[in-house]
Amino acid sequence: MEVCRASVSEPALSVANLHKEFLLSHSGVGSLKTLALWWRPRRLEHLHVLRGMSFDVPRGQCVAIVGRNGAGKSTLLSLLARVYKPTSGEITVNGRIAPLLELGAGFHPDLTGLENILFNGMILGLNRKQALDRTAAIVEFAELKHHIDAPVRTYSSGMQARLGFSVAVHVDADILIVDEVLAVGDHAFQEKCYARIAEFRRAGGTILFVSHDMDAVRRVADRVIWIENGAVAADDGPAQVISAYEGA
Amino acid sequence: MRADLKELWRFRELLWAMVERELRIRYKNSFLGFFWSLVNPLMTVLVMTLVFKTFLHNETKNYSAYVLSAYLPFMFINLAVMDSAQSIITALPVVKKVYFPREILPLATVLANFIHFILALLVFFAWLLGIWAITGFKETPFTWRIAFLPVLLVVTLGLSTGGALIISALNVFYEDVKYVVGVMLYLAFFLTPIMYFSENVWISTHKQGAHTEWLYTLYHLNPVATLATTYKKTLVPPGDIDVGGKFGMIHPIHQDWTLFGAAVLVSFGVLLFGYWLFNRMKWRFVERP
Repeated sequence: MEVCRASVSEPALSVANLHKEFLLSHSGVGSLKTLALWWRPRRLEHLHVLRGMSFDVPRGQCVAIVGRNGAGKSTLLSLLARVYKPTSGEITVNGRIAPLLELGAGFHPDLTGLENILFNGMILGLNRKQALDRTAAIVEFAELKHHIDAPVRTYSSGMQARLGFSVAVHVDADILIVDEVLAVGDHAFQEKCYARIAEFRRAGGTILFVSHDMDAVRRVADRVIWIENGAVAADDGPAQVISAYEGA
Repeated sequence: MRADLKELWRFRELLWAMVERELRIRYKNSFLGFFWSLVNPLMTVLVMTLVFKTFLHNETKNYSAYVLSAYLPFMFINLAVMDSAQSIITALPVVKKVYFPREILPLATVLANFIHFILALLVFFAWLLGIWAITGFKETPFTWRIAFLPVLLVVTLGLSTGGALIISALNVFYEDVKYVVGVMLYLAFFLTPIMYFSENVWISTHKQGAHTEWLYTLYHLNPVATLATTYKKTLVPPGDIDVGGKFGMIHPIHQDWTLFGAAVLVSFGVLLFGYWLFNRMKWRFVERP
């Protein structure tokens, strides 16, 4: 219904000449003692993970990011989620981002499901009132029923992941950043996740996700970016990029 | 720094939620809850009173009230700094996955401890009133000086927040910082007028014939020492103090406002430096070696 949002010319997400470098220290300075003993100039290795990456994502698009381990996919997502600061380059975001880099990151094992919903919702950018208003819907979606009053440490990993996913899709983000987290829960719950994501897209939401599962990519993505050695190797429709990627 | 403060303000509700969470976690599994946190100061003061009044024959009136009025703020600073030392390392799994202003972590620890401190002060006041009632409402336990308490609390909060920001940031990269700080705080307990008085220091530096008055000033450049003395003078009615030896009971010396001004400056200096240092280092927390 709100497809018109996709026609707004301003992209939801814009990445321009993005670089990210990490310093790897082999002396492993982790204490004042080692700092004092290793006063010599330390051997530092520069790890150039992203080497000048640029792309725009228009509103409403669903972009899959593929690439080998170590190609820089997770670093890219972490930069978009503002966990890292870029070494150089620009990231422009129009709208609110909900990062799903790990489901239930920030759950405290000793707090109940309800308490964790409130807290996790607020970490993802809701205020207290919004978080409280959504609690019922979140519990309903996560199918936790009466378990919601038990401490999260008593949950199975599937229950925790369901709760984490449920909170993340209820924070009204404009852009979802997803790192390989859809492989949670049983088949029925996965179908529910896909349905929810389709709903999110119909409402004009933008999605960026990393996956190694090419079936999932074919199923939901309308564009695929293949990352190789910290740069964009291919950027096109799913059919073209997947065949090139699988052929490589 | 302005932009960082604005961002922190935007996330203020998360900060409150985190304070609430910290308080909940701490007492989730213990039946006596808050009262456990009172056991330590009460036992400490009991033992100190035993040592000073019974073993060392100190004649100062209201001795245990004096000790408690300085020990509670000292313990607050101590716990606020030591607890927040671990705050970022413990939360690193979240910090690596979600963005929020990182200073919220140590700030929440400091504020949770501050709330404990306020509650402990209320218990302290109730105890003073109880003694007042038992002794037949003779000497009122409070004077007008108590109006100064809010100022004292703000300075104490500023100092411990600054300390917490510095220690929590450094401890991410050098994990023995908290041990060094632990030892320093332990020693600071003895170099702070908690179980003795500023008057003891004054006598030792002014009345021995030597020109050592500057030592008194040096001693009080430690803002915790000046704060401890000011807490005593604010919360407990003035009375003669037994400094021991040939001097015996002496009149209390007046609150030194110059020293207090210096303590305020040092405290807010620590706060500003801490905030600056933390903001400089906070983006590197996720990339720690």
